[in-house]
Amino acid sequence: MTIRKRLTLWYAGVLTASLLVIGFGTYQEIFERFRHEHRQEPVEHALAETSEMVFSVGLPAVLLGLLGGWWLTRRALSPMAELTEAIKKIHERNLREPLPRTGNGDELDRLTEVFNGMLARLNDSFNRTREFTLHASHELKTPLTILCGETETALRDESLSAAERERLASQLDELRRLARIVDGLTLLAKADAGQVTLKLEPVRLDELVRDNFADAQILAEPQGIKVELAACEEITVPADRHRLRQLLLNLVDNAVKYNQPQGRVTMSLQRANGAAEFTIANSGPGIPSEVLPRVFDRFFRGDPAHSPTVDGCGLGLSIVQWIANAHGGSVKIDSAPQQQTTVTVRLPLQS
Amino acid sequence: MRVLVVEDEKKTASFVRKALQAEGFAVDVCSNGDDALAAARATPFDGIVLDIMLPGRDGLSVLRQLRERKNATPVLLLSARGEVNERVEGLNAGADDYLPKPFELVELVARVRALTRRSGENKSTVLRVADLTLDTITHRAQRGGTDIELTAREYRLLEFLMRAAGRICGRMTIVEKVWDYDFDPGTNLVDVYIRRLREKIDANFEPKLLHTVRGTGYVLKEQP
Repeated sequence: MTIRKRLTLWYAGVLTASLLVIGFGTYQEIFERFRHEHRQEPVEHALAETSEMVFSVGLPAVLLGLLGGWWLTRRALSPMAELTEAIKKIHERNLREPLPRTGNGDELDRLTEVFNGMLARLNDSFNRTREFTLHASHELKTPLTILCGETETALRDESLSAAERERLASQLDELRRLARIVDGLTLLAKADAGQVTLKLEPVRLDELVRDNFADAQILAEPQGIKVELAACEEITVPADRHRLRQLLLNLVDNAVKYNQPQGRVTMSLQRANGAAEFTIANSGPGIPSEVLPRVFDRFFRGDPAHSPTVDGCGLGLSIVQWIANAHGGSVKIDSAPQQQTTVTVRLPLQS
Repeated sequence: MRVLVVEDEKKTASFVRKALQAEGFAVDVCSNGDDALAAARATPFDGIVLDIMLPGRDGLSVLRQLRERKNATPVLLLSARGEVNERVEGLNAGADDYLPKPFELVELVARVRALTRRSGENKSTVLRVADLTLDTITHRAQRGGTDIELTAREYRLLEFLMRAAGRICGRMTIVEKVWDYDFDPGTNLVDVYIRRLREKIDANFEPKLLHTVRGTGYVLKEQP
């Protein structure tokens, strides 16, 4: 029950009790007077007169009081409803914007002030975490550069045995994987801090998709996976060409990696509800529903064991999501175990 | 060929110097921007490898100074920040190429070589390695007189490898020049394409021309 209903009910109870007290007092008074005047049947007459007074004056007064009370609680609580709506809209990216205050110094205004203080503290701590990731990924680059460079230099030594060469080369592969993770992390940390600007220009999305389709077929071939381009409408979107190609390649790479041998990948591009809609579906093993909401999380993998057969940096879908959002679009994923998984990217059309 | 390497991190400067020396370059090393400007004024270099993050005057500022002084020495920028915006900023400031850290040494060497020998690139219309030929006008590829069917991407890959014949090409350079990606795709795209190309140009022929250099990249040449 809302506070408003509860307050009104209590108020109605209080008013009714007062009415009873007033009615009782009135009855006593009238009864005494009638007895004094030696009227016949004083009880009946006093009761009749009292009830007439109660119904004609008392009850309307109580109803008016209730209406007034209803209106008062509504007035008193309406800023609370506004506050609730405003708080509902808060998420990690708009912590910087404080809630509007009435400035009249009442209890709710105080509450808003205290709440804004909490937002500011949260914003600070989010910023510190972002900066930490950004600095950490920068700091990792220098030692990584040295490690990669020195390992590569060592590999050039002609006197190495085949086994030593293989060991060094394998180390170099892992170092480069680490470098890719750090790269992805830097990109996302910069994006979080609003330090990446997209170079938007009109881009023919269908051309990028066709280009990507060619690469997808080649990538899928070794596993016997068939790739299909179901539809490819001519669509122009305002976009950063390189980032969109990165998005498409990441999606294709995932659709092939998380698939079954002899499986299928279906891509399509068309207009839908005033936006460009690119979908890519695979016949893969599907994603359990409890895992689905987390697939865009950084470093999240569906399988806890981090399946060693699937190589990747664990940031692919996070990067896809960032690119789609940064273009004013969205990405969603639909899947169920043992069924196909479909990723849908929607991007605003060029006006 | 004489190259100036401007890098404050000693170990990085050291392996870059060694790698370039191994390729026959004479290499000078500076560890800060002011020394680099003084060195560039005193010596005509054929190329400069310039780190952006330097103590004091940073790499971009050195680059702008050089260009203001009408010094047109080709510059390869190195950056630990390795971000898209910075690449554009660097190229706008007058850099000729840009390489994010951590880079592959073979990439760095290949790019320095490309910078210093810009004009020397193979510009002929028919490329030839052993009995493999590629006509860059008709896009016709032949080996031993037999026609080889290539997709558009395979053609671009083969053309790139043939223009660089005899030199190791790193994966990142291939991705950048053949796919025009400005990011590391993190897939085995290049390896898969190389495998397909190898089936077409090497499988039924001797000697094999397309070789893998484990850990660094690929090279197209007659001798292994």
